[in-house]
Amino acid sequence: MGFVPKKFIEDATSQMHSQVGKKHAIIAVSGGVDSMTAAAIASKAIPKQLTCIFVDTGLMRKNEAHLVSAAASRAGIPLQVINASDKFFSSLKGITDPEEKRKIIGKLFIDVFEEAAKSSKAEFLIQGTIAPDWIESGSGLRDTIKSHHNVGGLPQKMGLFLCEPMHELYKDEVRKVAREIGLPAEFSERQPFPGPGLAVRIMGEITPQKAEIVREACAIVEEELEAAAHAKKMEMPWQYFAVLLPIKTVGVLGGARTYSYTIAVRAVESLDGMTAKACRIPPEVLEQISDRITRVLKEHVNRVVYDTTSKPPGTIEWE
Amino acid sequence: MKNRNENMEAIIIDFGSQWTHRIHRTLTYLDVSSKIVPVTTPVADILKADALIFSGGAIRIGLGDANQTGNARKYVEEFTGPMLGICAGQQFIGMHFGGTAQPAAGPEYGKVELTIDEHNELFAGLPDKFSVWASHNDEVINTPGFKVLAHSKDCSNHAFKSLSRPIYGCLFHPEVEHTQHGSQIYANFLKIARK
Repeated sequence: MGFVPKKFIEDATSQMHSQVGKKHAIIAVSGGVDSMTAAAIASKAIPKQLTCIFVDTGLMRKNEAHLVSAAASRAGIPLQVINASDKFFSSLKGITDPEEKRKIIGKLFIDVFEEAAKSSKAEFLIQGTIAPDWIESGSGLRDTIKSHHNVGGLPQKMGLFLCEPMHELYKDEVRKVAREIGLPAEFSERQPFPGPGLAVRIMGEITPQKAEIVREACAIVEEELEAAAHAKKMEMPWQYFAVLLPIKTVGVLGGARTYSYTIAVRAVESLDGMTAKACRIPPEVLEQISDRITRVLKEHVNRVVYDTTSKPPGTIEWE
Repeated sequence: MKNRNENMEAIIIDFGSQWTHRIHRTLTYLDVSSKIVPVTTPVADILKADALIFSGGAIRIGLGDANQTGNARKYVEEFTGPMLGICAGQQFIGMHFGGTAQPAAGPEYGKVELTIDEHNELFAGLPDKFSVWASHNDEVINTPGFKVLAHSKDCSNHAFKSLSRPIYGCLFHPEVEHTQHGSQIYANFLKIARK
């Protein structure tokens, strides 16, 4: 009936055996459930032929590299952390177009993977690509909504063969596989995080400073909404985060005029990311988020708004 | 026990919707195998299907994009089994049989309250009103030989059926998770295909 995770894992394992054979593979994990589940399948299927890497792009969540590598090693998947943040920030300098950002990031990831593949002599790149990634990347009659870094953002020529065991799955199915294969809840139940990271949560040009601002705002949104859900004030959203807008507005702080940025809060309910509805957050929780963001980030942010748009017509992430 | 849906196969004609693969998933969860094919597929290859489903898509059927639908006209003419058109697929079918596809008087994106005008085999067992998810710039109206089955506040023809052949259409998207009773609508359609 429907989707059977156990059977899926068996099929994906034998497919990986026949595709990769005795060759070496690398897999890049982002800390999200998709790549971690692909890594868990691969680390059981081809344990001696696998290198797992985590690329710190400078556009990750707060403490992400540390939290993910610690959690992964507890789950028996040792990670090699590669810090490439200088490369990402310098390549994204002056870029404002969302598609251009995504393509640059897709290419940078492949550069890093190819470099990492040299030392381990890997010929395959395993990715946690799932259905919405290639659907939204477009093809033929299907319009490109967003070039996902792992599909539409890939360079045309690359020196690694792709292996994508979860190509046909949606997020809810990936979570079932993650639970079946025994990944801890800190991975299997974790909210989605976009491949290009905070780059698509900074509207307009990306700078290290803006990354710091949105990273802090995202952390506050996560903490407050998780606490509210925990206290049963609301359901846990499917995905929830902050977006830094490039517009400045006038405010007043301690009797003095300010002219600073706006943060948009987004929280949606969804099953598979293909349709979504804005969550009904209790007003006092929204107020608390707004107060904290404007206090902690008072040098940069003086206004917080809530995004009430469904998908469609919006998408979940803003870029 | 032998599964009653075993050996049945639906073919999904891909007009390029973001949700074409969701149709495939919905059918898989109903234990019906299905295949997504492009509009360039030879007619002979689709004639062996038990049912045809035309997906939605960004193509503007009423604004000249019907020429991007490849062999789809031939499928409609030569396939005699049950057919279901979704969104652009519904507009395509409606226009093929003489209806007018055009920019919608009230385009709808996201949640829509649907009112069922006739509970026939497609909407059997469903309430009179429920929420569905839509995403359309255009609509099809004045469809001769078709009966309107459902409407919304902004859109008069949200679902129809042919009076002479087992052909159905929905402007909304029963395949997405936020549409209530969506899976039941596909199950009802497949029941027609099994007869």
